[in-house]
Amino acid sequence: MVDKSSSLPASLPTLSSAATGAAGALARPAPKRGRRLRSLNLWLGAAIVLGVALCAIFAPWLAPHDPLDQDLLHMLSPPAWMAGGDIAFPLGTDSLGRDVLSRLLYGSRIALTVAVVAALGAGVFGSLLAIVAGYFGGWVDRAISYLVDLWMSFPPVVLSLVLMVSLGVGIENVILSIVLVDWTRFCRVVRAEVMVVRQRDYVLAAQLMNFSHLRIMLREILPAALPLMITLFSLEMGVAITVEALLSFIGLSVPANVTAWGVMIADARISMHESMSGLLFPVLAIVITVLGCNLLGDGLRVALDPRMRTKGN
Amino acid sequence: MLRLIVTVLSRRLVSAIPTLLMLSLVVFVVLRLIPADPLAMMLPPNATPADAAVLRHQLGFDRPIIAQFGIWLLNALHGDLGMSIGFQQPVTALIASTLPATLELCLAALVVSLLISVPGGVLAYAVTDRRGEFPVGLTVVLMQSVPSFLWALLLIAVLGVYLPILPFAGRVGDGVPMPHLTGFLLIDFLLKGEWGDWLGAVRHLVLPSLALAFGFAPLVIRVLRSSLLDQRGEAYVAVARLRGVSESRILWRHMLKNAALPALTMIGVQFGFLLGGALLVEMIFSFPGIGNLMIQAVRNNDLVLIQGIAIVFCVLMLLINAIVDTLYVILNPRLRKPS
Amino acid sequence: MMPNSESVLSLQGVTLTANLGGQSVSALRDLNFSLARGRVLGVVGESGAGKSMLARLISGLLPPGFDVTSGAMRFVGRDLLAIPTRQRRELLGRQIAFIPQEPLTALNPLWTIADTFNEHLTRLGVPSSQRLDTALRFLESVQLATPAQMLRRYPHQLSGGQCQRVLIAMAFASEPALLIADEPTTALDVVTQTRVMSMLAEQQRQHATAVVLITHDLRLAAHVCDDVAVMYAGDLVEYGPARDVLDTPRHPYTRALKYATPDLTGPRRRLPVLKQQMPGLSALADLPGCRFAPRCPSADAACSHALQHRVAPNGHRVSCSAACEHGADTAELQAALPPPTPVDDASPVAELREASLTYYTRSGLFGQHKTGFDAVKPFSLKVYPGEFVGIVGESGSGKTSVARLLMGIEQPTEGRVLIAGADVTHGTPKQVRRAREQVQIIFQDPQSALNPRRSVERLLTQALEAAGLPAVDAAERRKRALALQSDVGLPADCLTRFPTQLSGGQKQRVNIGRALCAAPALIVADEIVSGLDVSVQAQILNLLLELGREHQIALLLISHDLSVVRYLCSRVLVMRRGEVVEQGPTEEVFSNPKHPYTRTLIEAVPSDDARIAWPPVAAGEARAA
Repeated sequence: MVDKSSSLPASLPTLSSAATGAAGALARPAPKRGRRLRSLNLWLGAAIVLGVALCAIFAPWLAPHDPLDQDLLHMLSPPAWMAGGDIAFPLGTDSLGRDVLSRLLYGSRIALTVAVVAALGAGVFGSLLAIVAGYFGGWVDRAISYLVDLWMSFPPVVLSLVLMVSLGVGIENVILSIVLVDWTRFCRVVRAEVMVVRQRDYVLAAQLMNFSHLRIMLREILPAALPLMITLFSLEMGVAITVEALLSFIGLSVPANVTAWGVMIADARISMHESMSGLLFPVLAIVITVLGCNLLGDGLRVALDPRMRTKGN
Repeated sequence: MLRLIVTVLSRRLVSAIPTLLMLSLVVFVVLRLIPADPLAMMLPPNATPADAAVLRHQLGFDRPIIAQFGIWLLNALHGDLGMSIGFQQPVTALIASTLPATLELCLAALVVSLLISVPGGVLAYAVTDRRGEFPVGLTVVLMQSVPSFLWALLLIAVLGVYLPILPFAGRVGDGVPMPHLTGFLLIDFLLKGEWGDWLGAVRHLVLPSLALAFGFAPLVIRVLRSSLLDQRGEAYVAVARLRGVSESRILWRHMLKNAALPALTMIGVQFGFLLGGALLVEMIFSFPGIGNLMIQAVRNNDLVLIQGIAIVFCVLMLLINAIVDTLYVILNPRLRKPS
Repeated sequence: MMPNSESVLSLQGVTLTANLGGQSVSALRDLNFSLARGRVLGVVGESGAGKSMLARLISGLLPPGFDVTSGAMRFVGRDLLAIPTRQRRELLGRQIAFIPQEPLTALNPLWTIADTFNEHLTRLGVPSSQRLDTALRFLESVQLATPAQMLRRYPHQLSGGQCQRVLIAMAFASEPALLIADEPTTALDVVTQTRVMSMLAEQQRQHATAVVLITHDLRLAAHVCDDVAVMYAGDLVEYGPARDVLDTPRHPYTRALKYATPDLTGPRRRLPVLKQQMPGLSALADLPGCRFAPRCPSADAACSHALQHRVAPNGHRVSCSAACEHGADTAELQAALPPPTPVDDASPVAELREASLTYYTRSGLFGQHKTGFDAVKPFSLKVYPGEFVGIVGESGSGKTSVARLLMGIEQPTEGRVLIAGADVTHGTPKQVRRAREQVQIIFQDPQSALNPRRSVERLLTQALEAAGLPAVDAAERRKRALALQSDVGLPADCLTRFPTQLSGGQKQRVNIGRALCAAPALIVADEIVSGLDVSVQAQILNLLLELGREHQIALLLISHDLSVVRYLCSRVLVMRRGEVVEQGPTEEVFSNPKHPYTRTLIEAVPSDDARIAWPPVAAGEARAA
């Protein structure tokens, strides 16, 4: 129903909008500082993620040692720049004499593999359902939303644990379990966006032109939701890395002969009193990588969708 | 108003029951798909297949799944959640003895979270488009990038090992007797007038609740900042400014209350993170809560116990959601009084 | 200009400069006017003219990057630009009050009216014991029935008119010397508008407040204000007594503004078209002289170099060198094309037979209570090929629902919908599809109606992609797009642009072009010009008339604006609360309305004739429940 208040030109710069400083037809220029630092997020995040990716891809060439090589003469040695350190083990060794740097590099492989594959899986599955639910509405939407609500009534960690118990140990199962838990988050957020786009008159216009539903979803709805999906993908990578670390910390993720950051942390925790560095390095690795994913996600959100420029949600 | 609260709350709780049933069924089915054989742990190594069959029949594992679920449900309604294979104790008793610890921890963490995130969110909002925006923003994102179990380890490393000022194991010091009244130590010690032990309990609570809080607070800070930014563009803010109301009054009396609503919804949704974080944090701090119990159950493949705890977690989540919904209705006059 | 000690507000040579990425641009240029106590000044202009910027200037809440670089601004003798910011903020809400445009969102939704009033009265220093009585007194003075109940309510429980009255009450509570009202009634229904406006005028008289009334409606300003200042792109182009500015405008822009709105009475004259549109801030740097020159029909070379100020023979201050020469302007006005009438009386292209639409909502604990809301009561309508029919009504009258029924977006609860003779009520998808090819819609909001990711060419020819049509190759599509583009008057280079790069008027043309592509028999146009500036509106209206004549398409125009309907439509239906209260040939209905509601609607429009009082006297007596 059209009402008068919606019949104003969208750009009428009223006094009210004036006092808020909101943009009107006489738009004030976006603050330079704001623009610059938001793109800083993007570049910094991208740089970090790229750096970690390079470490993962080139680990066999970058690592000075085999990550499973135990050197019993050099157990719990500190990093090279501290007293008692050895340049052969730049970041020191763990309680079994394994080189920390090499283990970090190989651990990044697990982290990134899980991150990319799980985020992609959750993203595709969740977004697909979201678009279908948001576009068709009605009972389809109700059914999918009920499923999402049901699923989200579990604390995510508990659900992951339960799934890991039933699926069994292993990287593929970790990925599967993340996909099965996190698709709901994609679904809920993307659905909200789809519903906004759905209300746009151009979708109605396309329907009135007798385009098929599939065509409308692909041509009109998907491109509008894509920026959000990309942002969520980046953020989801961070979540996936965290969950994998958590699971390998408990011992439910990788088998014993595979190196993962969570496992390094679990090992280092036992000998925390003697060697703090063994604990700090894998922790830093996780934190920095997740930070990169988060910064990248934030930067993408702003870069891809100018509407969100002043919001930080 | 009281009637409204009761109506809304009861309506939410009633509608949560079918959800709970569905969730129990899901957990039940998922756990039956386990590749490992749960019986293997309970049988002595020299057991014959016949012994296994007897045990299987005894535990009811040979009935169809729906029948098993029905039996489990019936028992659950009577308060019997089965017998833990690993601990050889009733699941209900195990949960009852550990749940208060987790609740106490989560409540403390929530309070600390809010104490950090309300001023934090306002600060993050206030520096938007100003010089401080990048450092503050980066700090928040950095905080957000550290999951609570890593916060736990970092806090132990810094405040427990490097500077040994706070304890990081258990709920009370060695040799301190547990009061066993409500299960909430902060209340129990007060009731008994044991000030020293009360203080000890508080000290043991500090690091774990900080770890949880640091994991949760950045989420609240971000959503608070975002809703404040949304409010900034609203007409009533501009009009108040034109009436001469001071900026600080606009922020604290007008905007914050409006911004709290979406933040409240977000807190409800994200509460799962807090509960989930409690699992690892309790494990790391040897805190005797149901999170820790769950980890042990998972390690032991103790299906019955896992199931029981999972359901309890679901109950907690549904309860929190119902409370948040009720709060939302109370705070939002548009829902209380339709136009 | 009166350097009067009685002057409440006076601006002398004030220039507001904006810093746009290194470039300095005058957002407001060399403003001079003075407002005496108890007088009302209307500031008239289209969006982007700078009238809201003027309000920001006075309130002191300028966006960053905007500074006053010359001139003086005095408020009751005090130099506003010289006093510190804190003192300036002190004036707000006290001696300088504001009334905002959108009343429903102007109050804190979580506070009751009492809370908001309380805060305001506290600021004014009213002792707590007297606050309740003071609030009640002011609410009564703005003619709100049951003020005590009103205080306990929340803003969402009030109507737009009621909210605005509350805001007016708060504004006058401090007995301000100056009141700035920014389009105070634009967001309200036309009938509420007249009531609120007359109440505002009453308050102004009582308190002898000086008022700056910002509006886009020249006629409204002429009736309500003492003086009028017309603004264009930051310049004050004409200033004089209100009645005179409307009767004999001197500046070419003021003239264009006056004649761009169709009349409700008198001869139907063609709307003169102003090409292009008002320059935005960034374009102002390239316009050192008169900023209207690029669009002005009588501009010469000197105009673009420097702005000239003259005093016209009738005492107006005008910023135009040619102002004095152009006296008589009626010669330029031609008669308009007549609104299209049916080419074929026999078979209607679209028909509603006793169609009704009821929306149901469920309430109660388990959704057991079903309440029905009759959006459209049983309604019959026939639209014949080639005719332009208008449906007028206020919001909630059901006019949009009628459009949705015709389009098949909603199914009628009862009755039938026929397109080109075929019954499509609850029809099969094939029938519906065929019907939809005959009827196209132009949406109101061009922003929402055009997919921002498609180029103009693809948008215009979108209908060619429809299912069931033979595939069209790229060259053929291009040809079609070019034909449509010239049909709707889009500039040649538009095809490759995207909607975000187009102006509002251009977007609306794309909208129309897209509807034409399918060569429909009927176009449904839902409030398509209400979001546009008056000068752009004129372009679109003329375009529609031409298209109607050329292609003989039928048009169903839904609008709340009677003058637009009069200009375009040969037949009109007046709707209220879901039913038709009057219908017939447009001229007859508007010149001789039979139903009292139609009469109210007509009286609510400020007329060209200065003798007809506006707001109508009766409006002042009505109380808002």
